[in-house]
Amino acid sequence: MTLFFRLILIAVSVLNFFYMARKLRKSHVEGRDTIFWMLFSVLLIVLSLFPGIANTLAGALGVYSPENVVFLLIIFALLIKLFFLSIKHSQLEFKVQVLAEEHAILKKKLEDALPAPGGKDDSKKDGEDHAA
Amino acid sequence: MGKEDDGRLLIIIPAYNEEASIGGVLCELRRECPQADVLVVNDGSADGTLRVCREAGCPVLDLPFNLGLSGAFQAGLRYAAQNGYSYALQFDADGQHPADAIPAMLRAARERHVGVVVASRYLEGQKGWSMREIGSRMIGFCVWLTTGVRLHDPTSGMRLYTAPVLRRLAGNMNSSPEPHTLACLLNDGVTVAETPAVMRERKAGKSYLNALSSIRYMFQTCLSILLVNRFQ
Repeated sequence: MTLFFRLILIAVSVLNFFYMARKLRKSHVEGRDTIFWMLFSVLLIVLSLFPGIANTLAGALGVYSPENVVFLLIIFALLIKLFFLSIKHSQLEFKVQVLAEEHAILKKKLEDALPAPGGKDDSKKDGEDHAA
Repeated sequence: MGKEDDGRLLIIIPAYNEEASIGGVLCELRRECPQADVLVVNDGSADGTLRVCREAGCPVLDLPFNLGLSGAFQAGLRYAAQNGYSYALQFDADGQHPADAIPAMLRAARERHVGVVVASRYLEGQKGWSMREIGSRMIGFCVWLTTGVRLHDPTSGMRLYTAPVLRRLAGNMNSSPEPHTLACLLNDGVTVAETPAVMRERKAGKSYLNALSSIRYMFQTCLSILLVNRFQ
């Protein structure tokens, strides 16, 4: 690996690390969701600081250049991340769907229970009706 | 038998921007099936669908935003399950489905003790070789390949679900009212019967499915049946 390539890796990793840290401080992202990106940055930094790792792996795997091993590791890491994101996305979508369904059913129950149809400000009047 | 006959039927009509046709559909249902309860699921329509249903005095589930057919129908199933209905019928809002076919479907469910009853275009009518019918044949072939059951009209959207099936679909993530769900149910030992029905053509304009999206639908459905269902 050339020095330039290693410097780019380190620069991107450090930027990524501190960007995540800043998002975390501002509470823009949940802690457990940043773990992956922190570890990802650390992995890239370790690979750039110790080129021997990529060299050895390239030799063992029969890969032409150590850079390609770095790319391979990045692709694998991103694939795993994407896979779990896809699962999470499915589950979130389903949860939103269930919420919308339950919301509609509750709304109907509320409308059926209230005497006047079409009343929009039902949340406050509801309590008064029960008190009266 | 007496107890089973007490089972109440809920007709679920998912509706997305159907103000032009929904009124006629509700009238027809009231005339042909006065004993059944009707529930429209307004799937975030931008037109007057909700108003037309309210004016007709029909119960409505009003979804806060558009979920698509799958979510809209499931909202109806959820309502049916929570309110102890024995049967739920999936019915189109665009006037394609004949309400007078419903009593026969209900009878079939009661007398033949099946899980699902499908109103089929091709039990009495002849299946031709139009694009749509070729698609239907291919989906039917995929269903037969994976389940060993020959469905005459797998793409029919007019289906009656009995209590165990409707309760199962009401809480399931993969329960879109599509042929691959039918294949999935068949694989799990749910029995399906077909009764004859004459479907009408959509009155105004052409179907929303153009040639390209029909092919995509075909492809997705066949792949779902052949690949995805194996693991469910």
